[in-house]
Amino acid sequence: MTERSDEGALAAVREVAGALRPLWLRKLQDRIDAQVARVPARLNEYAFDDQGLSPDFIQRTALPIALMYEHYFRVRSVDIDRVPAGRVLLVANHAGQLPFDGLMLSMAMLLEAQPPRIARGMAEYWVSELPFVSVMAARGGALVGTPRNCTSMLQSEECVMVFPEGVRGMNKVYRDRYQLMDFGLGFMRLALETQTPIVPVSIVGSEDQQPGLANLSRLGRVFGMPAFPITATFPLLGPAGLWPLPVRYHIYFGEPLVFEGDPSEDDAHVQERVDVVKAAILSGFERGLAEREGVFR
Amino acid sequence: MRGVGLQAAGLRRTFRPPGGPRLPVIFSWFRGWGAALRGRETSMTAGGRPKVLITGISGPMGRLLASRLASGAEVCGVDVQPGRGPAPEVRVHAVDLRKRKFEDVVRTERPDAVVHMGFVRHFERGERVRHDINVRGTKKLLDHCARYGVRKVVVNSSAAVYGAFSENPYAIDEDFPLSASRSYPEIRDQVEVDTLSSALIWKNQEIETVVLRPAHSLGAHSRSMMAGYLRLPRVPTVMGFDPMVQFIAEQDWIEALRLAVLEPLSGVFNVAGSGQVPLHTAIRAVGATAWPIPGPIFEAVCRRLFVLNFWHYPPGAIDYLRYPVCVSGKRFEEATGFAPKVSLREMFESARRRRK
Repeated sequence: MTERSDEGALAAVREVAGALRPLWLRKLQDRIDAQVARVPARLNEYAFDDQGLSPDFIQRTALPIALMYEHYFRVRSVDIDRVPAGRVLLVANHAGQLPFDGLMLSMAMLLEAQPPRIARGMAEYWVSELPFVSVMAARGGALVGTPRNCTSMLQSEECVMVFPEGVRGMNKVYRDRYQLMDFGLGFMRLALETQTPIVPVSIVGSEDQQPGLANLSRLGRVFGMPAFPITATFPLLGPAGLWPLPVRYHIYFGEPLVFEGDPSEDDAHVQERVDVVKAAILSGFERGLAEREGVFR
Repeated sequence: MRGVGLQAAGLRRTFRPPGGPRLPVIFSWFRGWGAALRGRETSMTAGGRPKVLITGISGPMGRLLASRLASGAEVCGVDVQPGRGPAPEVRVHAVDLRKRKFEDVVRTERPDAVVHMGFVRHFERGERVRHDINVRGTKKLLDHCARYGVRKVVVNSSAAVYGAFSENPYAIDEDFPLSASRSYPEIRDQVEVDTLSSALIWKNQEIETVVLRPAHSLGAHSRSMMAGYLRLPRVPTVMGFDPMVQFIAEQDWIEALRLAVLEPLSGVFNVAGSGQVPLHTAIRAVGATAWPIPGPIFEAVCRRLFVLNFWHYPPGAIDYLRYPVCVSGKRFEEATGFAPKVSLREMFESARRRRK
């Protein structure tokens, strides 16, 4: 009984807080609500999908991320209508010490794409071992990045985003900005296997958000972390030192690329196709860097 | 994975073993009584009623299965305790699977089919006793089956044998390795039972062997670990984790076992239930209160209580509250046409009523 009245009190507080929100904030929340309502998802009677995605959760928690999207990074998404309906792989660059690029890309797919899509992230294995983070990732639509999970997502016509640079890219140092680290080949084999169009995505901005001076990955291993970046503010200011600078994000979506071939071909042949995707992302960088008027604008 | 859907009699069918080559197996020989049995179920015509022997028949699930099968088959059973038989015409022999007397039962009863569900699934009598009963009992049972011309063996394993790991895919298929003993050594007997029985598929192709790996069963009679866990007054969970948990209603599970006995079928099959929900959602849905405990504390306390025999959930079981073990039941559904009938909500609602 007490529990129920607690819930009632919480709901009342939430309602009052909601009413006190300024109009622009309420408008943003309304926009999120409207977009989430239009997302196609196969939900069970408790409003979860088989992988643990919860549109309710997204609706309740997307506001801070949407605020960052609109007002902190002031994201500009270009040619998002190139993302085809049905199964698709978004292949993007990864940078910036913390994966804000992933958040912003999925926010772009939610807020700007017509119809809105939930970009399913392929998370590192260790993400699902972290308390709280694992639950939030799952409710937000992320999956453990096993090939099997990715294939079945694509077979059920979902939009999957991958960052083939992985941690290597996320913790790249500043002089490597707008250069692509080695791509894994797995995503291309999966695309060939499931005949999925690949949309190369060039995220301009994240590469400048927290310039890395060095990456002491050996030291990171001591702490059980995949990397240990040194930046102007990290580890000087503690974890807060990884907070990104208010750079402006420009997300360029390339033309969808459809590859054909045998998914079990030699690495060399798969690599050729991967290089096509890399070149497409790099040309997006070129365009983005030429078009922007400064890192923060 | 494919090729198990053929239903017409006399067809050569293939199925894929876990990690092995594709082998054609002729099933027409078994089809005779399987088809006859199915016919009788609807028309009740005369003929040789196949005899089904159920191990662990005095348990609640054994009784349910016996009464479900009774309409089309002659049922007998064994159990360590004689208990209450499901019906007066069902003979129950009080024997230990490991003992000589059990062989006598198989020899005199001469069953056509054996359903093996007489396992110890709790830890109250210690790990070693459990291991011995389950593994040696299964070995003996399989040997007797081969010797006394049993034509079908159905072994009730569990989806838990895959093990709970962070890297589990969200729909585990039958070819996935059985790694439970890596993090949960206390149930390695269950993994061994599964492996022993799966090996019989290849070792003895005269016997139709079905190994079922159902999701967590839930219902009034179910004594699965998860069902017991959800009956606790306060349900401890691991703080910061909320894995998807897959449930099958006990009626659906019994139906799956019935199909496994009656359908001409051989192989390893997952049995997925009505679906999966996050653990905390399930706890709320059955009307319980979750009690999140930080993982390291939970583990330490659980280990000590388990050693002292105060608490019968071993520390390895905690991983099942952290990581998902959800299986894909596609292969079984395609082979038998099985479809779960009880929805998640119905299952949780009846669990909620029972709690009161």
